Amino acid sequence: MAELKKEDLLKAYRTMREIRDFEERVHKEFATGKIPGFVHLYAGEEAVATGVCSHLTDDDRITSTHRGHGHCIAKGVDIIGMMAEIFGKKTGSCCGKGGSMHIADLEKGMLGANGIVGAGGPLGCGAALAAKFKGKGGVAVVFFGDGASNQGTILESMNLANIWNLPVIFLAENNGYAESTGVKYNVPTPNIADRAAGFNMPGVTVDGNDFFAVYEAAGEAIKRAREGGGPTLLECKTNRFYGHFEGDAMTYKAPGEVKRQREECDCLKIFAAKATAAGLVTAAELEAIDKEVAALIDEAVEKALAAPNPTEADLLTDVYVSY
Amino acid sequence: MHNTKTTVGIIANPLSGRDVRRLVTKASVFQNAEKSNMVLRMLGVLGKLGVDEVFMLPDVSGVASRVIHAMRHGRAAEISAFPRVTFLEMPIRDSADDSLRAAELMVSMGVSVIIVMGGDGTHRVVANASGDTPLLTLSTGTNNVFPEIREATITGLAAGLVASGKVRLKDVASRNKVLRCEVNGSRKDMALVDLGVSTECWIGARALWEASCLTELFVSFAEPDAIGLSSIPALIHPVSRTDAYGLRLVVAPPGEGFMTVEAPIAPGVLLPVSVAEISEVRPKEVFKVETARGTLALDGEREIEFSENDSVKVWLEMDGPVTVDVNKVMLAAAKHHVLVRHHRN
Repeated sequence: MAELKKEDLLKAYRTMREIRDFEERVHKEFATGKIPGFVHLYAGEEAVATGVCSHLTDDDRITSTHRGHGHCIAKGVDIIGMMAEIFGKKTGSCCGKGGSMHIADLEKGMLGANGIVGAGGPLGCGAALAAKFKGKGGVAVVFFGDGASNQGTILESMNLANIWNLPVIFLAENNGYAESTGVKYNVPTPNIADRAAGFNMPGVTVDGNDFFAVYEAAGEAIKRAREGGGPTLLECKTNRFYGHFEGDAMTYKAPGEVKRQREECDCLKIFAAKATAAGLVTAAELEAIDKEVAALIDEAVEKALAAPNPTEADLLTDVYVSY
Repeated sequence: MHNTKTTVGIIANPLSGRDVRRLVTKASVFQNAEKSNMVLRMLGVLGKLGVDEVFMLPDVSGVASRVIHAMRHGRAAEISAFPRVTFLEMPIRDSADDSLRAAELMVSMGVSVIIVMGGDGTHRVVANASGDTPLLTLSTGTNNVFPEIREATITGLAAGLVASGKVRLKDVASRNKVLRCEVNGSRKDMALVDLGVSTECWIGARALWEASCLTELFVSFAEPDAIGLSSIPALIHPVSRTDAYGLRLVVAPPGEGFMTVEAPIAPGVLLPVSVAEISEVRPKEVFKVETARGTLALDGEREIEFSENDSVKVWLEMDGPVTVDVNKVMLAAAKHHVLVRHHRN
């Protein structure tokens, strides 16, 4: 695998920082009551989306989940437009009519966050089939959670992907909880990756809090798919720092669990410690990125608040496609 | 006759066999259902040989859960022959620490032997805590050198024969060599088979599968029929597990050095490795790692990151884990008719 250069490391850190600050800010803004609908925050899981999407181009497709902000940012969706979308504003990525759970940007290959658990599997297979027909080495990545790993759509998609040898990566983000249900209760194997054997595809589990582990494993899976090797099930074990949705009191988590995870498993802290210890980036360079990202998030919120709402005339536009 | 209970530990790592080698090589995915079946096959023979109690890891979604299920719902005649099975009271963190903690607890409880099921990595973790308690090693996968690839029934049989005193431990057990390493004077870890130095900066996905990143390699033993990094020196200069030395090999850039070895460094992977130096390593002879920045791979998995500011040292020692030779156990059992009943004519 190509060695990560300094600019690659700084870019990865910037993406993870953008996701973290975006989510921390949405958490605060949601409490003000200005954001319509539900939001599901990705904070804690940044290394997964970033490690995977670092290998993708705009021609590659991803499908996402209800917890989709991180996937969007890692895939290059405009942060100003995303924030406006979450606020339901006309300047949003989907003109304010999608909201948090339906942000999409087809030009960036982001096929959409999705409110239906496990719905990304069939969509990803479709995108992968299209990529296979085009024959230009495109791939699709299906992000899904530990809860969705039990859905028929995901399991049927794995079956289809393997009998058609599609260039698709099933990317299980195992954050330990399907809403409020512990993964050890609802998944009968210690690893979601164990299920790969039943579909005759490689199944790999890595530490989802370590960008470098995700980056390496995802790189190999994506390379394999591009070269015609077929699907992979890659499981990243990670943590979410907030509730399933904003307002979730997380009574199902042990006292101190999130505090410990923030202290010991924070992917940004782990990344910064490793990258600076290796002497490839400096703390000052990372701090400079922190400041730039903070300013960007401020700008995104200011613009979102100032932007107009969709009007009555916008109600029926972009809803149906005319063939 | 023993007055105290005869106890055996079983550490079956439910997390083994899931690393990136499934993707970059043709390594197998070893199903936990089969690990559970292996445990059940062992329980049957352990009970019949007079083992009173077996201690296990209490993983709730892996190997243990199926053992519990089988014991609750299995055939009564079969289950009644099992020894008592006790799950250790310990928190499960789904990391290597689980196997380490289980080994510590089993040693403190005085089990006669510990059966370890997993790969080289699991055995390395257990060896860090096993001390003088003998291990019976069982490979779950295609990627291993230290543990034996063997039908679990026979390993269980050997464990039972030793634990119950039917075969004398001193005739069948031996201590292994280990490679130890330290960073800036602080003892870090050990390798049972091979310690590779990689120029890759990150532990990342752990496995070391890019031979081009390998600069130095230390091995405690090198068997020519082994898979993995130890196959590189093994195909030049085999070293047995009992020889009182190991090897150090310095990798040369492709096509340079004094020879090139085609080595099976991973399942399905035969790669040319150019060799600059190869020499014998004596116990306690300390080597300073010459690579400025990179990672140390212990038994094939990157575990320790180091930079230009770090001083990394590696040496061989003879004080590794004690393992039971299943072949010797079964030969002794045969020789002394331990499992034979003579009929009266």
